[in-house]
Amino acid sequence: MAEKKSSSPSPVDAATRSADRKSRAGETPDPWEACIKLEYGGDRSFAWSVREQIISTPPEGRAQVEERLLKALAQPGCTDAGRQFVGQMLAMVGSVKSVPALAPLLRDPKSTESARYALQPVAGPEADAAFREALGSLTGAAKAGLIGSIALRGDTTARYALAGIKDNPVESAVVREAATRALEYLANAKA
Amino acid sequence: MNSSSLLSRRQFLQHSGLATAVAAAPFILPSGLRGQNAPSKKITVGLVGAGNIADSHFGPLLGSPESVRLVAVCDVDRERRDEGAARVNKAYGNKDCKAYADFRELNRRTDIDAVFVCTPDHWHALVAIDAMRNGKDVYVEKPLTLTIQEGRALVAAARKYDRVAQHGTQHRSMKRFHDVAEFVRNNGLGKLDRIECYIPPNNRHCGATWQPEAVPAGLDWDMWLGPAPWRPYTSLGCHYNFRFIMDNANGQVTNWGAHYLDIGQWAMNADDGGPVEIEGHGEFPSTGLFSNSTNVNFTVRYANGIPMHCRTRFEGGGTSRFIGERGWLDISRNKMSASSNDLLREMQAPGKKIQLALSTDHHENFFECVRTRKRPIADVEIGHRTATVCNLGQIVMTLGRKLRWDPAKEEFIGDDMANRLRGRPMRSPWSLI
Repeated sequence: MAEKKSSSPSPVDAATRSADRKSRAGETPDPWEACIKLEYGGDRSFAWSVREQIISTPPEGRAQVEERLLKALAQPGCTDAGRQFVGQMLAMVGSVKSVPALAPLLRDPKSTESARYALQPVAGPEADAAFREALGSLTGAAKAGLIGSIALRGDTTARYALAGIKDNPVESAVVREAATRALEYLANAKA
Repeated sequence: MNSSSLLSRRQFLQHSGLATAVAAAPFILPSGLRGQNAPSKKITVGLVGAGNIADSHFGPLLGSPESVRLVAVCDVDRERRDEGAARVNKAYGNKDCKAYADFRELNRRTDIDAVFVCTPDHWHALVAIDAMRNGKDVYVEKPLTLTIQEGRALVAAARKYDRVAQHGTQHRSMKRFHDVAEFVRNNGLGKLDRIECYIPPNNRHCGATWQPEAVPAGLDWDMWLGPAPWRPYTSLGCHYNFRFIMDNANGQVTNWGAHYLDIGQWAMNADDGGPVEIEGHGEFPSTGLFSNSTNVNFTVRYANGIPMHCRTRFEGGGTSRFIGERGWLDISRNKMSASSNDLLREMQAPGKKIQLALSTDHHENFFECVRTRKRPIADVEIGHRTATVCNLGQIVMTLGRKLRWDPAKEEFIGDDMANRLRGRPMRSPWSLI
């Protein structure tokens, strides 16, 4: 049986439409602004949109993408999950241009993980220097992770600093062990 | 390595939550004193990761007490490690099997010959490398590693420390898979046209959001995460389900692809190489806890032009299908079929020109190699190459563009973003060094 078409809206439909007109949902947020407010467990649709844009950006447009990510990272209200997300995105497109913005974050225990994630794939002496400089600001596990990144980047100019850490009794065991292993790694890589 | 700089066990325990990437003194016992060469001739084994996949190892490990002895079980979940150790002790009728919360303690035991790595994927490389550094042979569950970079590091460690390293792709020790690969290699299907691999789907039933939960008593969540990016605990994203989360695994592409693409690699004679071109696309959830592809579809192409497809099959489980000018062969774990009975008869006939190594028991093959120091049927290099094919698929689906791959250099050609996806930085203090 064919469904009978109603010629005019029902009272319920009208009420629903009225409610819609009064909705305070607001406009769809800019994904680049929303992604830094990401919460663990929260809806990550806007972050996903940013990710898709980044991935589909051709090489000639990545500098602009990188700039947008760095700008987002500098906004107030950046959550831990948001910073982690931006770090992962920068790991795909980041360049030496990210170093000035990420270097202070690398030295800060609260943001060092995300910054290291972003910077580790960035080649060049500027990033190497940022890693070495952060050695003086971090302790414990974060410093051990930093040392691992320095070694994997193949920064042989860090050997002197690493040798000092290895033999420094003030350093924690985890840090000294990381320095020992990094020196061995760099020696083998050089060989 | 300078032994004076290495951590003592006491120091290590003092920093148990912080110790660096598999930091360890390489207490390598002279082989003459180890289990495999001890008067008893028993191979002593430690098991790291006592969850779902470990279940499939307890039987074989406990089934030959005269030659293999399981002496240690490790898990970051107290309930699992205690249950595992109790299971072993019940089987042996003693209390010799010890439970460990930290794999580094197990790896430092000087009386253990081999370590089975049955952890979530993001831990495979670090646990196995640490074990080899400490003189253990390793059996590493599939997928071999989370990333291509980790796989190469694992191979390098196996060679550096001269260790036997078996990848847990037991299809390599099932005769029907061997026979198919050998038949294809001997042009039994005539000119091969293509390989089609089908893998089961990822879990798709996960909401758009999730709630962090209190970490259960007895679970060391920080250690469970290890090198993976931090996130709060949720029971939805821990045991078993980790495979659907990109931070911890690459979904069924590497979980089942490790089996079905592996047989394709074997048949293509690509155990030390791989494809040169990849294209495809996947469907990924845009929100929710689970992030791996819910619908896999990619193709790798070898230098001879032959493609191997990998797709999700929503009903019917995994399979590898070989299609050539003489017909087709379809093989899965439970059955084999062909376009004609003649092909099946020919496939099983003896005397082929090219004969592939035959193993009919993956565990026994590993233990035999532990004794003889030969390379196992699914040697770590083979496992790495197969895991790489799976990862190439994951990367091409992530990027959604055609990629070219140099299997000798293990580099993408002309795609910096793709090359960056070959590895991932690890959370502190962990590192591949």
